[in-house]
Amino acid sequence: MSVLMEATAPPTVEPRGALRSFLHHRMGVIGAVMLLIAVLVAIAAPILAPYDPYANVRVNILDIYQAPSGEHLLGTDDGGKDVLSSLIYGARVSLIVGFAAAAIALLIGGLVGIVAGYRGGWVGSLLMRITDFFLVIPDLALQIVLVAIIGPSLGTIILVIGALGWTTTARLVRSQALTVRERKYVMRARAIGAGDAHILRRHILPAVLPLMLANMVLVISLAILSESTLAFLGLGDPTVISWGQMLNFAFGRGAVSAGAWWALLPPGFAIVWVVLGTTLLGTALEDALNPRLKRHHLESPGSDVARDRRVEELEPRELTTPSAGAVAAPRDPAAPAAQEESARRDEGPILRVRDLSIEFDTPSGKHLAVEGVSFDLNRGETLGLVGESGCGKTTTVLGIMRLLPPGGRVVSGSVWFEGDDLLSLDGPALRSFRWTRLSLVFQGAMNALNPVRTVGDQIAEAVRLHAPGTGQREALDQSAELLERVGIGRRRLNEYPHTYSGGMRQRAMIALALACDPDVIVADEPTTALDVMIQAQILELLGGIARDLGTGIILVTHDLGVVAQVCDRVVVMYGGAVAEENDAATVFREPQHPYTQELLQSFPDLAHPDRPLRGIPGAPPRLDDMPPGCRFAPRCPHAFDRCREERPPEYAAAGGRAACFLLDPTGPREAVPSAEPRP
Amino acid sequence: MSGRGGYLLRKIGWALLTIFVVITFNFLLFRVLPGDPAKSGLRDPRLNPAAVESLRERFGLDKPVFLNFDGGNPFDSQYVAYFGALSRGDLGTSYAFRDQPVSDLIGQALGNTLWLILPSQFLAIIFGAGLGLFAAWRRGRPLDVTALTFSLFMWSLPTFFLGIILLVIGANWFGLPTSGRITIGANFASFWDVAYDVGRHLILPTLTLTLVLLGEYMLIMRSSVLDVFGEDYILTARAKGLSTYRIIRHHALRNAILPMVTLIALNLGFTVSGAIQVEAVYSWPGLGALTVNAVGDRDFPVLQGAFLLIAVAVVIANLIAELVYGWLDPRVSEA
Repeated sequence: MSVLMEATAPPTVEPRGALRSFLHHRMGVIGAVMLLIAVLVAIAAPILAPYDPYANVRVNILDIYQAPSGEHLLGTDDGGKDVLSSLIYGARVSLIVGFAAAAIALLIGGLVGIVAGYRGGWVGSLLMRITDFFLVIPDLALQIVLVAIIGPSLGTIILVIGALGWTTTARLVRSQALTVRERKYVMRARAIGAGDAHILRRHILPAVLPLMLANMVLVISLAILSESTLAFLGLGDPTVISWGQMLNFAFGRGAVSAGAWWALLPPGFAIVWVVLGTTLLGTALEDALNPRLKRHHLESPGSDVARDRRVEELEPRELTTPSAGAVAAPRDPAAPAAQEESARRDEGPILRVRDLSIEFDTPSGKHLAVEGVSFDLNRGETLGLVGESGCGKTTTVLGIMRLLPPGGRVVSGSVWFEGDDLLSLDGPALRSFRWTRLSLVFQGAMNALNPVRTVGDQIAEAVRLHAPGTGQREALDQSAELLERVGIGRRRLNEYPHTYSGGMRQRAMIALALACDPDVIVADEPTTALDVMIQAQILELLGGIARDLGTGIILVTHDLGVVAQVCDRVVVMYGGAVAEENDAATVFREPQHPYTQELLQSFPDLAHPDRPLRGIPGAPPRLDDMPPGCRFAPRCPHAFDRCREERPPEYAAAGGRAACFLLDPTGPREAVPSAEPRP
Repeated sequence: MSGRGGYLLRKIGWALLTIFVVITFNFLLFRVLPGDPAKSGLRDPRLNPAAVESLRERFGLDKPVFLNFDGGNPFDSQYVAYFGALSRGDLGTSYAFRDQPVSDLIGQALGNTLWLILPSQFLAIIFGAGLGLFAAWRRGRPLDVTALTFSLFMWSLPTFFLGIILLVIGANWFGLPTSGRITIGANFASFWDVAYDVGRHLILPTLTLTLVLLGEYMLIMRSSVLDVFGEDYILTARAKGLSTYRIIRHHALRNAILPMVTLIALNLGFTVSGAIQVEAVYSWPGLGALTVNAVGDRDFPVLQGAFLLIAVAVVIANLIAELVYGWLDPRVSEA
């Protein structure tokens, strides 16, 4: 959905993102060091171990379960042997089994996964059915049975653990192979006649191998756990010393009643050490290869407005456009406050956004995604918020609605909703404001409705929330009326969203938005992903709502056709700031800002079908790479030196305003040493 | 087939097929692989041919494995006989416990295992889901970090080792019983005394298994809830003006529990593995301890029966989870 894609994608953040990745990294490093120490101990066992645990020694009853001493640093076990030496040699078995079994599992799982993912068809589904089967069978029970039947030797144990441990690898590799297979470059390779072997070697394997290796580290940890469990249950290779077996002997032969903690704790914690190390390393590797940073709509509620937000006025300042300038007459101090208040409520704009700046945390620091945006919305007016993707349109409306994703916050400005600054509301005041005054329609509405609750229930929920005392039946009745108003039959009330078509879902979303009779509806790309006929119906519906109910609508869109169809006024945004604002007709007739002009050039005009279409070269600036001067200067055909050095303020132009030095009344090319304060 | 009925039939069909494969697999495992004393005994050179023949007949080894192609009844085979015996609930007789039917042994053991697994599962799911929910909600905060560290440590700690540690602590500090199901040789005045004694025996095994499962379920719930918190309908709910509590209760919980149901079912193998180890440590007379003892005694009929029961139980539990999922999620009929 664009609402979030746009808001969260460009800043590519997540709260404390840098810290988090650093932490993961550090954890991975710790894990790698832990594993490395275990490997070194295993290799250097003959040098490190004070005694040879495999040597036959004559044991005397007093040698058994000796407490730790200078002679035996970790005491002796049930056979009178040095625990420390057995512990050091035990690392060998754990690691050999872990690595060898993981290699087998990886081989089988990788093969099954690649064949199932790349080949697909009946072979693929059969392989996945087999995988499902092994996934269901309890691992340990089958391992016990197999090792018991075949006989407990190190080789058997490795084979059994490996042959049963491949299922997760197979699933992982299959899904990765499936994704890669559908990628453009693989399709292209196949289209030009590359053989399977070539595609597998050049495209599939490089994409799958890193994930497989990360997965292998996790499989190693599982294999080590399995080996120690089998050994503890008496199914270890009796000819080698392993940690699980040490615990089996100690536990089975009276270490607990003898109080011989030194025979129990060291092998147990040795297992924990190795498993923890491999798990940390494997998780860090998987995270690094396949970051799964998720959006989180409930995180840090209330922190979307910076505590030290800069607010310049206690009252909304009038926008100094020529027409509005006349309105901004000095106030008559004699006018009674109440009268003035009611006059403002009835006639003034319902929504005034002033100097709104929104900042995002990114790995490279804090960056402004929206800077100094101001506009008004009158009652019953439809305002188009236009621009390419990544221009800050959605971030602006999310900031207004107090729905910024984590990591984003309003650092300055205010949002005046009649007499209230929306940005200073919090808690219950903000919640009761929501939906009754300001509601929202998303793009597509694919996932904007909860899939496990009926549509009627979700509309009734909003009704009852904001009109306490309404019964469920009454609320459902109102919901049915709302659905009828948007052209959905009453009988669909108790159906689930997935039974609705895309267009119907969008209508239902509009019905939901109307539930509490709001003053303003924000519609973010409401027609994207719908076909042209449905698109026209939805726009007509929105237009009707603005006309009949006097609801103000902010329509966020990149589609100038939509704007031309329904909008009264247009705010063009570029690089997080307002490029131009004017009434819709003027914008289309006399665009003032070069960006608006270019935007119109790239859009087909039915009145002049012979006019050549062209796109705007280049792309909108990135947040962390904002030009110092005019944000549009790098792509602007008219840019001159001043544009590259200085931010253009907003100038009055053609009855609206536009931020371009070409419109500077004192002459465009003259550099003004101290830029006049922004109007 | 479509709709819920179709979903139901598909899932039941798949479960039946899996059970059939499990039975066949189990049958083959104990016939194809070497090591069965009944078979290796037949290779004993001291036996005379007549004794070998009578033994072969007793174990049904004189018949062909799958189908009889030597004329006569084509279904007169070991495989068909195995199914026939299974359908009568006959799993053979134990080698170690003289003449005890395997079905009786594993029947008793299953009851004991359920006494261990059900309370542990229940507690672990409740607390794991609760913790996971809070951890996800407070992602990156101290509670989340603590919960994640706990899960990671629990994951790295072998279940049997945790069992040993808790056993030592429970026995020395709290005087709890550490072995078996009931105090042997004690005289119980009433049913309540028995229940009290069994309950005390259950504390440590249940605690161990609960802790092991808890970490796992917490992780599953946390990631499931995080998935849901990223969904657009949560944003809609926030925009509607719902309080965080109401959003979680009315919009997030049900959607988060859906994948949890499937994942808990998929993780049943993990539960079984935990139960086997806990039973081994505390000598709890369930299926796990029975299995481990059968390995020590080379009691193959018991091993075979116990494995079959465990595998079939897991398949059935999986089926139940699928059915619950289908009941919770209205979209399932489309899948």
